[in-house]
Amino acid sequence: MRFSLRLTILFGLFLSLFAILSMRLWFVQIAEGASAVEATDNQSWVSVDTPAPRGDIRDRNGLVLATSRFVPAVVVDRHLVNREDKDVLIQRLSALLAIPADEIAAMYEAAGVNGTFTVAIVDTTEAYQINEKLALFPGVRIEKVPERVYISGTSMAHVIGQLGLPTAEDIDERPDLNPSVRIGKSGVEARYDEWLQGKSGEVSYQVRLGDVISQRPEVPATPGDTVILSLDSELQAVVENALAEGIQLSNEWKDGQRAAGNEDAAKNETVRGAAIVLDVKTGEIVSMASYPSYDPSLFVGGLDTETYSLLADQQAFLNLPVSGQYPPASTFKAVTYLTFLEENVPLPTDVEGIDPASKVVHCDGQLELSRLNDGSAQIFRDWYTGDKGWLDVSASLQESCNIFFYSVALGIHDAWDGTPRETVLQEMARGLGYGSSTGIDLTSDPSGVIPDRELFLAWQEAQMDDPEEAPRLLDESRLDGRDPWFGGDLMNAAIGQGTVSATPLQVAVSYAAMANGGKVWEPYVVREIRDPKGNLVELNTPTLKNEVDLDPENVSRLLTDLNRVVTRGTAAAAFRGFGDSLFDVGGKTGTGQSIASKDNHAWFVGIAPISDPRYSVVVLIDEGGSGGAVAAPVARQIMQYLMGEELDPIVAGESAQ
Amino acid sequence: MATVAPSLTAVSDRRGNRPDPILLSMVLLLSAFGLVMIYSATRFGLERAEQIPTGTMERQMIFVTAGLIAIGLFSWIDYREYRNFLPIIYGAIVLLLLAVFLFPEVNGARRWIPIPLFNLQPAEFAKPIVIITMAYVLSQGNDVDRVRWKQILQILVLAGFPAALIVLEPDLGTTLTIPFVMLVMLFAGGANWKQMSTLIGSGIIAIAAAFRFDLLQDHQERRIRVFLDPSLDPQGMGFQLRQSKLAIGSGQLTGKGLFEGTQTNLAYVPEAETDFIFTAVGEQLGFVGGVILVTAFLVLIWRLLVIAAQSRDRFGSLIAVGVAGMLVFHVFVNIGMTVGIAPVTGLPLPFLSLGGSFYLAMAMSIGIANSIWLRRSPVPDRVDQ
Repeated sequence: MRFSLRLTILFGLFLSLFAILSMRLWFVQIAEGASAVEATDNQSWVSVDTPAPRGDIRDRNGLVLATSRFVPAVVVDRHLVNREDKDVLIQRLSALLAIPADEIAAMYEAAGVNGTFTVAIVDTTEAYQINEKLALFPGVRIEKVPERVYISGTSMAHVIGQLGLPTAEDIDERPDLNPSVRIGKSGVEARYDEWLQGKSGEVSYQVRLGDVISQRPEVPATPGDTVILSLDSELQAVVENALAEGIQLSNEWKDGQRAAGNEDAAKNETVRGAAIVLDVKTGEIVSMASYPSYDPSLFVGGLDTETYSLLADQQAFLNLPVSGQYPPASTFKAVTYLTFLEENVPLPTDVEGIDPASKVVHCDGQLELSRLNDGSAQIFRDWYTGDKGWLDVSASLQESCNIFFYSVALGIHDAWDGTPRETVLQEMARGLGYGSSTGIDLTSDPSGVIPDRELFLAWQEAQMDDPEEAPRLLDESRLDGRDPWFGGDLMNAAIGQGTVSATPLQVAVSYAAMANGGKVWEPYVVREIRDPKGNLVELNTPTLKNEVDLDPENVSRLLTDLNRVVTRGTAAAAFRGFGDSLFDVGGKTGTGQSIASKDNHAWFVGIAPISDPRYSVVVLIDEGGSGGAVAAPVARQIMQYLMGEELDPIVAGESAQ
Repeated sequence: MATVAPSLTAVSDRRGNRPDPILLSMVLLLSAFGLVMIYSATRFGLERAEQIPTGTMERQMIFVTAGLIAIGLFSWIDYREYRNFLPIIYGAIVLLLLAVFLFPEVNGARRWIPIPLFNLQPAEFAKPIVIITMAYVLSQGNDVDRVRWKQILQILVLAGFPAALIVLEPDLGTTLTIPFVMLVMLFAGGANWKQMSTLIGSGIIAIAAAFRFDLLQDHQERRIRVFLDPSLDPQGMGFQLRQSKLAIGSGQLTGKGLFEGTQTNLAYVPEAETDFIFTAVGEQLGFVGGVILVTAFLVLIWRLLVIAAQSRDRFGSLIAVGVAGMLVFHVFVNIGMTVGIAPVTGLPLPFLSLGGSFYLAMAMSIGIANSIWLRRSPVPDRVDQ
């Protein structure tokens, strides 16, 4: 083959390679050109979300508790930030706004490739200054963004809740969330987030060579709906004030105990408390307070770790009325009382100091049993010393005589142990709402514990499978494989001790049910939701969780006895000077024992009025010392307000269970 | 006319031959066009960064100027002299290729030697030197239109060694240029079908083995996989390829107009001034502009093949064929990459893409080709006299 022929062949080869290129260009530019134009056109459109203002939260009378206002903010639009400018931009923003660069970098990443995010909220002067220098900050603009404002401050903080940036899990669950817009994290803010959040608006514009060349009409943001609570601000102020004074009273009472040499009753300082006012006819929460409180505004702009850990140490974020679990103690005696009457529980026949025929028990401070524990004597001591005489169930409730209620448990054990009726007490408690979540429209609603043989067997099995695994609820003597449920456990349960635990809200709900004749309403804090124009969106109507069939005679007897508690029983001292309507209120004290290193928890649960029950009031002072001395006076002041009486100062009542 | 020397064999000077006007004007046109496109692709970003919009273009103007001087210089040097200095030239480039490993990695590769003004990229200069080396080996002996197996072995060793160093940098695109050019030169040099098919066959087996035994660097294998299926990497390289195709496609028949590119200016298409310069051409000047550019390269290659045909000796012929093969490979693979028919190998577009070493190496090659043209067989009408 001649050289020139080979060159010709080579040229032919090269020519065909270039022909392939040209054909490909034809395909890309002519055949598919139109769709490429469309695709690049769409690409040049930039859409930016404009966050919606969160809806208002109002109290039952329409008073605004939380709202939104528009404030100037530094906003970064990542569409307009060149990749190579990113680091310089973050450095400059960090210097300007005094925010650590890594925090801004994290927000930058979280916003996503074409995201928009708010770096910081600034005041008007700052906004003006930054506006002057925008040339140095590509992709940054000053924008009016909605910001949450809590007008109510620390009041009702636990009910209203707080905001926070969505976590990765939140976004997994709700993919439509804007990662830079805060959502509700607790309380009503969380439970009603989908209504409060509103709908983001959208601004779309087309960018060519960095200039906006056309714009679509703005889709305005739809503000969130207004959530109207069942809480009453005026009552709430009374309740919060009374609770705070109760904490102070408890510490004074403890000082008195120490001065009297009773160091055991005052091991720790009192720091926490809870109070609830519940509508017994509907389940509406009219007031709910948790002490100490915090200002949810702290979370609006993000909270520094120091303040956060300080508040977290105080457990200020815990909504004690709903989430705190305590032995209900003597407040639980009303449940045993109703069980005794409803089930006709026979009292033991062979124990000294118990007269089953007359249904009376000798309340002389101690109950001696010889048959429970291998014949060896076992003594159950009451909380008082001295002799209160032979008391029936009514007088026992008024005087909070433990021995009577022990006897009821013993009677159940003697008559029905091993039969389906052995759990009559527990069935009554569960029927009244103990041992399961209340269903309130707030976060963290634990179930509490109502113990029985079944539960103890389950605990025993779990604990024997893995002795190290929490909660290790049973002590070692019950882990030898024998039946772990003893008669003594039921006796402890009958006075609300042992492993019984309940939240203040469960206690309030159960008393509401006992007072209204057996209806267990699901408690709720939100009455209705309205759109920004005021049209009704949702109306929360009372939901019946359960109904216990109670004999009206027993109910009215219980109410009478609850009245006697405040007129001549354990709370009489605390209710002295209540006012003319003293005859129409009632309640029960409680002093709960928990672990040895803690002081007793102080309870009072009240019903007002007795003649036509309307409110169930619960006061719990965590390690308060004494129900009668500390919790009862707090509840007394709240009930004075509810009954339209003049409020008396909170002073210590009688130290009683 | 009577002063013309009578003996043909004694001709060692230019004998009054003039430089190839088409070759040189094509190079000038392409370089000027390259400057315009570099400006078009970079000015917006520079303006945004508050820098001089012509900054990048000015940098390339320095390289173009140096390149034109290089064309003059290498035209003036008698290409036949390289035969005498080949061991020195070959040794120098091997040393430079080794030297890159003394310098720190940039973007995961060691390709550069930092010297004042710019980063020297020895692999670019290795291309013309390997071409000269192969032409030298193939022009040894008296067989005019035949290649001996011994020569093939010598070529494989002499071209294989720098190729191996370049693949280690790693720079796959430049490495792949060498076997392509080798095949083109062997074919032109008279290799028979048996030799050609043996080489191509073993090449295919080698590539298959490289895949089979994971001899490719991860990023190289990934590039090839993404080329085969861009959806594997929608954000990174796949994004770049998709955006490049969209930008070229949106140019349609006549383009959006010079400087009116929206995609190549908004960072949708990265590297629009270097490897993806054709994307800017396609978007702004459309199918018409793209075909004219491809045609301009074809004219350049035609001239190089004419030079090969006219060369006074087999050495010059084979160099010119090698330079033509090198240009064809760069143009096809580079433009093919921007429209999705060739993998992203990092080969730039000759005379258009921003880059100092590359421009100078291409200018050198053109200078050498022009030197061959200048020293071709005497102009026929003079000989006939």
